Amino acid sequence: MSLLTRIAMILSFLGHYPSYILAYIIETLIVIIFGTVVVAGMVYFFRKYMARVQMRIGPNRVGKFGVLQVMADGLKLIQKESIMPQGRDDLPYKVAPLIIFIALMMGFIFIPYGPLAWLGTLTVTHSDVSLVILFALIAIMPIGELLSGIVSNNKYAVLGSLRGVAKDISFEVPMMLSVLAIVMMASARGVSPLDINGVVQAQNIPFAILEPLGFFVFLISMAARASYSPFDMGESDSELVTGNTTEYSGLRFGMFYLGLFGTIFLGSLILSTLYLGGYNGPFESYLGFIWLLIKTLVVVVISLTIWLSMPRVRIDKFVTFGWKYLLPISFINLVITGFIILGGIS
Amino acid sequence: MESNLTNRYIELNMGPQHPSTHGVLRLKLTLDGETVKKVEPVIGYLHRNAEKICELDFYCDALIYFDRMDYVGAMNMELGYLEAAEKLLNIEPPERVKWIRVIMAELNRIASHLVWAGAFGLDLGMLTPFFYVFEEREKILNLFTEITGSRQETNYMSIGGVYQDFNDKIIFKIKEFLSEFPKKLDEVYNLFVKNDIFISRTKNIGILEPEVALSYGVTGPMLRASGIPYDVRKDEPYLVYDKINFTVPISKKKDVLARFIVRFEEMRQSVKIIQQALDKLPDGPFFNPKAKKSLMIRLRGEGDVYARTESTKGEFGVYIVGDGSVKPYRVHVRSPAFKNLSVLPYLSRDVLIADMVAISGSIDLVFGEVDR
Repeated sequence: MSLLTRIAMILSFLGHYPSYILAYIIETLIVIIFGTVVVAGMVYFFRKYMARVQMRIGPNRVGKFGVLQVMADGLKLIQKESIMPQGRDDLPYKVAPLIIFIALMMGFIFIPYGPLAWLGTLTVTHSDVSLVILFALIAIMPIGELLSGIVSNNKYAVLGSLRGVAKDISFEVPMMLSVLAIVMMASARGVSPLDINGVVQAQNIPFAILEPLGFFVFLISMAARASYSPFDMGESDSELVTGNTTEYSGLRFGMFYLGLFGTIFLGSLILSTLYLGGYNGPFESYLGFIWLLIKTLVVVVISLTIWLSMPRVRIDKFVTFGWKYLLPISFINLVITGFIILGGIS
Repeated sequence: MESNLTNRYIELNMGPQHPSTHGVLRLKLTLDGETVKKVEPVIGYLHRNAEKICELDFYCDALIYFDRMDYVGAMNMELGYLEAAEKLLNIEPPERVKWIRVIMAELNRIASHLVWAGAFGLDLGMLTPFFYVFEEREKILNLFTEITGSRQETNYMSIGGVYQDFNDKIIFKIKEFLSEFPKKLDEVYNLFVKNDIFISRTKNIGILEPEVALSYGVTGPMLRASGIPYDVRKDEPYLVYDKINFTVPISKKKDVLARFIVRFEEMRQSVKIIQQALDKLPDGPFFNPKAKKSLMIRLRGEGDVYARTESTKGEFGVYIVGDGSVKPYRVHVRSPAFKNLSVLPYLSRDVLIADMVAISGSIDLVFGEVDR
């Protein structure tokens, strides 16, 4: 029995449909709050990890071991005056951070979280096309990036957002092709292939082992989507100040900042769902969610280590890399997947 | 007036408050999309009139203004001034002092190159090596604190001597540092050059032909990375550099990566120099009795003198004119970083913004020295 059904049963005095709708809203809120808390925790973890890598101590003033530092920073950002540039296009300027933030938070709803102890499965939606919706949401985020740069009346921001878009175009096609290979694989197993939950159930063997090339392409694409170093040409701070977020301050900047970490977390969730078997693992009907979190955490640590040890790639080299290497690799991956399905390996 | 719609180029202003420009460099860029068409460096934001202030003070007092020129390599600045001032005032430092000055100057050269490496990493988006090099630099600064009492603007050397003698404990600590340092240096070096992205960002970028370098007056590691083995320490030895065995690293590659490698090789040579100097350090007084503290302000100089030394950035020249009074009549400084900066517009024609940042990072600019 899923968590959704349990909540609906508690609310059953409202009648069948209202109780389900309310239960759905409540669980969505839970997931979004969970997402925000995890992302905030990840900011703390990242700062501590970064400090350790760089032989520093990291935040240690607010709360025990500085755990409340992120909360303090968040409160500070909310309190701050939002300084807005003159000559901006007001509505898009205010909407742009919301586009990124809302698309990101909606992305968390479509992840199959798997079962946890007596709570039952935590997955919110059971849509037949959840994979498509998820990647549609990811594809919306560059719009916010482009918009924020163009309307904020700043040359750095324009250059940064143009770079960001050039980057997005060059990795999204290979990313979608590598996802296509997964859909092929899943449909060969007879599950509903566009349902991300079906993809998880199809992974008796994690797809990372069957499709190492696709895994590689997807890992790079997710790093580029989250735009951390080495793929931070968009907001490269030593060249373009902070790119498209240059003119943002206060809460709106906070949204971009959370968006960065949230994208890392969402990307890691998707990666471990699509390629590392998601909630599959020993005692999965009881500990599924824990397995998913462990896998995600491993991917997050790998991402952060890449972030901290790499210099920035030049934008033209990344575009070349995307079209000349990633795209052919993902096509080869498709062909290999076809042969795997023909050979009946599963 | 030209309409904005028909104007093909973007004017972009980088600095003086910008994360990539070192200190307060301001660059006026003319961009065609991502390509830099023209760079115009604008300097003077840190102008403190040091040369003029030197004329208002006694010969011994000018040192502190030199400390604050290249604050990352302050010892080399003091050395440059003293080479000129001691020649003008006819005061010869004792033998021990010369060796001590070599040790301190080379320690500071290591510290300065380490700072450069860290800042250069930041320019390319590498956050982590910055802290690794600063850890090593911190050890040097701790040595400085122990010897001189302060970290950066040490004001350690004085006319005819140094303010504090070396004792056995200091010598032991320096030796201890030198025994561990080369290993750490290799670690940091590998962190950079074994990274393919770093190589792709620096190789064949900002190629400086030797003839062009000479015509712009470029000196120091930048010139040596273009293949010209010019080093004042070797070609016109001062202090006791002629008694020390070291090589001048050069590279034929002429690009940003070559400048990086040359600087790291220089640090290894500096380690060799300090080790030899510590072994050969003679006993004796640590200041010339003619320049005792009570007598120092009465020193009078007449005539004019030009002395050049190899600072961390290149050839550092000091020209002093004395009119027979207790104060210099004129002090002029040939700033290597200023001359090296002049080649930036030449190097940054038709490169991408990211490459322009890498090139300006490779010059090793310290604005205290450029603006003076």
